[in-house]
Amino acid sequence: MIQQKFKCPHCGEIASFYGNPGERMAVSCPACRSKGRITIPMAAKENHYAIEVSHLKKIYGDLIAVNDISFAVKTGEIFAFLGPNGAGKTTTVEMIEAIRTPTAGTIKLLGFDTKNGFNQVKERISILPQEFHSFERFTVRETLTYFSHLYKKRANIDEIIDMMDLRSHEKKLYRTLSGGLKQRLGVALSLVNDPEIVFLDEPTTGLDPKARREVWEVIANLRKRGKTVFLTTHYMEEAEHLADHIAIIHKGKIIAEGSLQELIERYGEKTTLFIKSCQSPDALQLLEEQGFEVHSQGNGDLTVKIDYKEKVLEVLAQLRHDCIEYDGVDIRRSNLEEVFLRLTGARLTEEAEP
Amino acid sequence: MNLKIVFIDFLYNVRSWTRSRGTVFWSLLFPIMLILLFGAIFSGMGETTYTLYVQDLDQSENSTAFVGILNGTGVLTIEHVTTSDPISDYIREENIKNLLVIPKGYQSNITRSYIDPSVQVNLTYYFDPTEQQTNQILRTVISNVLSGVNMQISQGRPVIGVQEESTVTENFGFIDFFIPGMIGFTIMQQSIYGSIERNTKFRKDGILRKLLTTPITRSEWILAKMLFMLFLAFISTSVAIGVGILAFGIKVNITILTIVIVIATSFLFSGIGMIIGRFVKEEETADMAAGAISFPMMFLAGTFFAVDAMPAVIQVIAHALPLFYVNEGLRNAMIYMNQSEAVLNTGIVLVFAVIFFIAGVLLTKWKED
Repeated sequence: MIQQKFKCPHCGEIASFYGNPGERMAVSCPACRSKGRITIPMAAKENHYAIEVSHLKKIYGDLIAVNDISFAVKTGEIFAFLGPNGAGKTTTVEMIEAIRTPTAGTIKLLGFDTKNGFNQVKERISILPQEFHSFERFTVRETLTYFSHLYKKRANIDEIIDMMDLRSHEKKLYRTLSGGLKQRLGVALSLVNDPEIVFLDEPTTGLDPKARREVWEVIANLRKRGKTVFLTTHYMEEAEHLADHIAIIHKGKIIAEGSLQELIERYGEKTTLFIKSCQSPDALQLLEEQGFEVHSQGNGDLTVKIDYKEKVLEVLAQLRHDCIEYDGVDIRRSNLEEVFLRLTGARLTEEAEP
Repeated sequence: MNLKIVFIDFLYNVRSWTRSRGTVFWSLLFPIMLILLFGAIFSGMGETTYTLYVQDLDQSENSTAFVGILNGTGVLTIEHVTTSDPISDYIREENIKNLLVIPKGYQSNITRSYIDPSVQVNLTYYFDPTEQQTNQILRTVISNVLSGVNMQISQGRPVIGVQEESTVTENFGFIDFFIPGMIGFTIMQQSIYGSIERNTKFRKDGILRKLLTTPITRSEWILAKMLFMLFLAFISTSVAIGVGILAFGIKVNITILTIVIVIATSFLFSGIGMIIGRFVKEEETADMAAGAISFPMMFLAGTFFAVDAMPAVIQVIAHALPLFYVNEGLRNAMIYMNQSEAVLNTGIVLVFAVIFFIAGVLLTKWKED
């Protein structure tokens, strides 16, 4: 199962589809809904992906927790699985980790189907479960040593301690550690077997901003060490800060995926240029005549919607050309929050699991 | 099965346990406190008068006078024994702790001793060696009375003597009854709560989810935990026996049946703990469920008081409880040396252990629904 991007011949939307090399399949464009058929190229390399999920589904009674989702995670990237609580993130990641059994669909880790071959990849993956708490009366070093002894392949504990900046805490009992240190140790635990894939389920939930930043640094370091990181989070800024690739899940379905840049370009608002205290009452009309979407905020403040960042210079040049003075300008780019708002009609909040 | 992983997990459990003062207290010191407390209350410590059973086989003027002197000391309450059964049977059936037998021919032999100085009369004092304090006092009283009587009849020549016989295999004190019960109770508590912690708390903390994705198997993990529970069971058994011997002088027989019962009890209640842990997800609720099962069992299954002394309905309930057979089995194997009963109790405990442990293992899930 591989991922292939196709451009919609009707609206130009670039969308990702999954299938086996050579497979011809019916698809519909996520933007304009036009239908068509595509063929996955034979030349694509299957082992390019560390994780491949196809038509995954999980149903509890009447509740469809995960609804026929497909995606693939490239080797060596940080893949953020973003969504509000209750969207199906943890259910999905726990199916990938073989903790839950899917109702339907297939999952491949490092090329092995997890249904029958999960034991073959246990040595090569590692997880940090959501709200993980380790053994309270083990020290940091003992905790690392305990988990490392469960594997045949073991990383050097001292190297991990140094890499995670845990040296001054190695003799402290787990229960005496701060929340940030516990999560840092949790990430450290996921390295004791020098895994190829690291799953981190909401690793910064409940941490203060400083501790969250510390954990981000640690996760960013994993990418430098060549690890594939599958990160579930409901923090927009976490995905923006860390992820190479983001999949947004909402009510059990993946509603968008791509790099941050791709998502913003595809689903975000236009860049907004704020012009403060514009001295000329004709500025609005002048810019509109040039084809810009301009709104007056009162007190001479104007906002100009811009498609491409190069257009900013055009606007400023136009103002200078017409000798229109102003106090200053500010540029605000669209972000993931706006993407999510536009896709779902709601802000991403910490709602309870259904 | 990777035994190295099992051994490492076991060692880490022991290390973690020794660091928990609370757990060590409840596992070791609490049972010791209960043994000392109940032992002190029910073993006759602090008595001011002592009951002495007397069987006067001579029924003569002299023997009646001797009993009257004993009674006159004010320390003893004399209970007259008139049974025609063998005295050893009577002692066992009536649970007699101290008994003095005045032999037939007591008066005639004293009379003969005036002519033939070699003639002596020997009384027999049956005593329960587990009641050391009471024995010491009764010996002193009997010895003083005999000295006075010998002085009167022969100017101090020991015409009347006393020989002692232990009732150890037939006559037991409360502490002999209590210590096996305490061992059974402690193993039950450790095993149930230990299993619940590992199945409920570890699930809540994500440890089971983490372990599920590591190479350790569920069987290896359960085996490691059971080794640890057995370690705790033997530690607490040793401590209870040690305290019983040092503080109360109990006589304990460690037989293979004793060891089998300790092992089976650990598996039995670990299985019950696993079953609770499977169905009760919340840690606090699981603790309450464990308490709801273990505390009534503790009182109803003859841990502190003999089931025979309880109302008939309670006795029926007690016979349905696994802890009852654990307690009875330990008592019969360790103290009473009643091997046939011990074998029967052990067999029943083994059946309970197999059923509950297998059910517990089958119901223990690492996977989520």
